[in-house]
Amino acid sequence: MAVDTEVQPAPGSGGPAQAGGRSFFLRYLGRELGRRARQAIVIALGLALGIGLVIVVSAAAAGVKNAQASVLHSLYGVGTDITVTASPSAGSALSKHNFSLQIQGGPGQTPKVCVNGKCKSGAQTIDQLFPAGKGVLSYSEIAKIARLAGVKAAAGGLALTDTQISISSTSASPPTQFTVQGVDLTHDNLGPLSAAALSSGHTFTRSDQNSDVALVDADYARANDLKVGSDVTVAKVKVKVIGIINQAEGSSPPDVYVPLALAQRLATEGPGGGGSLAGYVDTIYVTTASSTDISAVTRQIKALLPSATVTTPSSLASEINGSLGSAAKLAGDLGTWLSILVLVAAFAVAGLLTMSAVSRRAREFGTLKAIGWRSRRIIGQVLGESVTTGLVGGALGIGLGLAGVAIVDKIAPKLTAIIPSDSGLRFGQSSGHVGAGPAGAVAVGPGGALGGTTQTIPVHWSASVTLAAIGLAVLLAIVGGLLSGALGSWRITQLRPADALARVD
Amino acid sequence: MYTLTNVTRLYQKGRHTVPAVRDVNLQIPDGDWLAVQGRTGHGKSTLLQLLGGLDHPTSGTVEMDGRDLGRLREAEVTRLRAASIGFVFQTFNLVPTLTAADNVEAALIPLGIAWAERRRRTADALDSVGLSDRARHLPSELSGGQQQRVAIARALVKEPTVLLADEPTGNLDEDTREDIMALLEKLWRQHGLTMVLVTHETSVAGRALHVADMSKGRLTIRSSAPPPPRFPASSEPRPSGRTGSETSYPA
Repeated sequence: MAVDTEVQPAPGSGGPAQAGGRSFFLRYLGRELGRRARQAIVIALGLALGIGLVIVVSAAAAGVKNAQASVLHSLYGVGTDITVTASPSAGSALSKHNFSLQIQGGPGQTPKVCVNGKCKSGAQTIDQLFPAGKGVLSYSEIAKIARLAGVKAAAGGLALTDTQISISSTSASPPTQFTVQGVDLTHDNLGPLSAAALSSGHTFTRSDQNSDVALVDADYARANDLKVGSDVTVAKVKVKVIGIINQAEGSSPPDVYVPLALAQRLATEGPGGGGSLAGYVDTIYVTTASSTDISAVTRQIKALLPSATVTTPSSLASEINGSLGSAAKLAGDLGTWLSILVLVAAFAVAGLLTMSAVSRRAREFGTLKAIGWRSRRIIGQVLGESVTTGLVGGALGIGLGLAGVAIVDKIAPKLTAIIPSDSGLRFGQSSGHVGAGPAGAVAVGPGGALGGTTQTIPVHWSASVTLAAIGLAVLLAIVGGLLSGALGSWRITQLRPADALARVD
Repeated sequence: MYTLTNVTRLYQKGRHTVPAVRDVNLQIPDGDWLAVQGRTGHGKSTLLQLLGGLDHPTSGTVEMDGRDLGRLREAEVTRLRAASIGFVFQTFNLVPTLTAADNVEAALIPLGIAWAERRRRTADALDSVGLSDRARHLPSELSGGQQQRVAIARALVKEPTVLLADEPTGNLDEDTREDIMALLEKLWRQHGLTMVLVTHETSVAGRALHVADMSKGRLTIRSSAPPPPRFPASSEPRPSGRTGSETSYPA
């Protein structure tokens, strides 16, 4: 097919002619859109709806993704690529014990406290520090893991629960609990404190390894009126508070942080006592040399510690359930498909309306062809109109999208993440419980004190509009305009001037 | 000069083949004015479209200045139309969103003429049809006669050698028809155009140098001498090559 070429401009007239041609193009375009304002608005609104929906969905998805990342960070520790935990049922010293704690007595009677069958009468205070339900790993495993190829650093941690019960001759107070995290000070940028922000005092130094010092979570400090310099009693030992810290909101952080050595020294295997946890950790935090090493290091650790649970961010993310997971699924599946559906519908409507407009303007285009306009120029005119309509739709769509995002932020329900407690997380309060009956009996299940299987974490999220989403909106607007213009242009190429001129409006 | 040799144009309508133009042989010298008269549907407009390169014959050749329009590439025909052929239509065919001046200027866009020159020529063209004061008006703000004047200005602004007019007075009342025909006649004289005018009105056809009848696709030359009143001796000199004796019209 022959290429349509323009008559050559007169010598020396190219520049002004082109500029003049552009001004004519713009005049024609503006007036044509003005004449078909209603149709142009319908097309633009259709595109705006689709584009606005894409922005809302992508913003919601980004918000949920950020929330997931935030949850992962807060649970997992900034800089941590892999966590290693021992399963309570395999290889754990704790799994070999079945602890029991009973308090017998009543009003007017001398209390009798029985731990694992060993009983003691009289008023007493029980204050015991024991692991939060996970199994334990030997501290020496940390060094082995640190030597694996691709591992940059490895550090240990010990998540514990301090349970205090005061029993007098007349009553037994309900048990009080707080969580204690043993922190490995050899790698202070890895593990539970890596994402913490100090609000007062100072944090641990390497020399604190064997000191009776503690950092306290700000919420716990506020609730218990603790300040820097206060004492907190852990397993009957007074520990000095040297700093107050803030962890990410919604991360359910431990209440008290102590040096790992102190935690190991004070903790026992279970509420009834048992062996010391010196030389043990329950979590090993690993950072790899690069993100591409994660899978290889994971394989090596599994080979080294076959019974351990090895958790990576991706495996952890897949284990997060609850409304956060539902929201992610909703945004990922329904939202995406809904956006695509609306966009396709908007593009189709825009294309059909443009084709219809071109058909109605057949005689106009036929006339232009008759007076010497090449098809390419007419197509350019139609494409210009379509793209302009698309851009108006894009601008409206961005406005609609931002409004939609604001509404979503206003009405969005609070999300929660439900996380398996054996997933190697560093924080979290188990859904298990310690109960005290009317007679003051406290029963703790086998395998450790807190036998819950999941933990629920509130997640704060907000839809997040990114520049990429705005860029996508503009791109979609142009694509929508071009697509509808292309359909119209196809109609123009089919028009024979003679047929077009024969049309009756 | 146009030379049509054995030109036939057939249309397919369903299962039937309809001949719009049948075996037409015709020569139109430069500067001539030929009126083609006939009833609706007998092939007048098709003949005009063949002359303008808007349509191609099913068989035969349409030559313009020795160039077979059927053999030219589409781009070349477009270029020819842009530079040398002006069209005037029965329904004016103005772009409704453009002003009178913009409609006229549209004919200069394909020629790549500088903006200032376009504006000047547009103003001159509108002036020549007596519509300088309507340059900023939209077609909907003009009467039928004024719209046709704009269309004539659009056809002539590029200074073509050929003007093809398809029922230019078909949508006008009697007074306006007279005005438009007088204007066309004046411009034909001034610009030395070759003009082919299709009409079904005898009074309009009667103004031409030559009149041909089109019936069922066949062309027959009816007259080759202009009636005296339309070319008063006192008026401007007739452009060369406009006498009937120089024109050959094999029927």
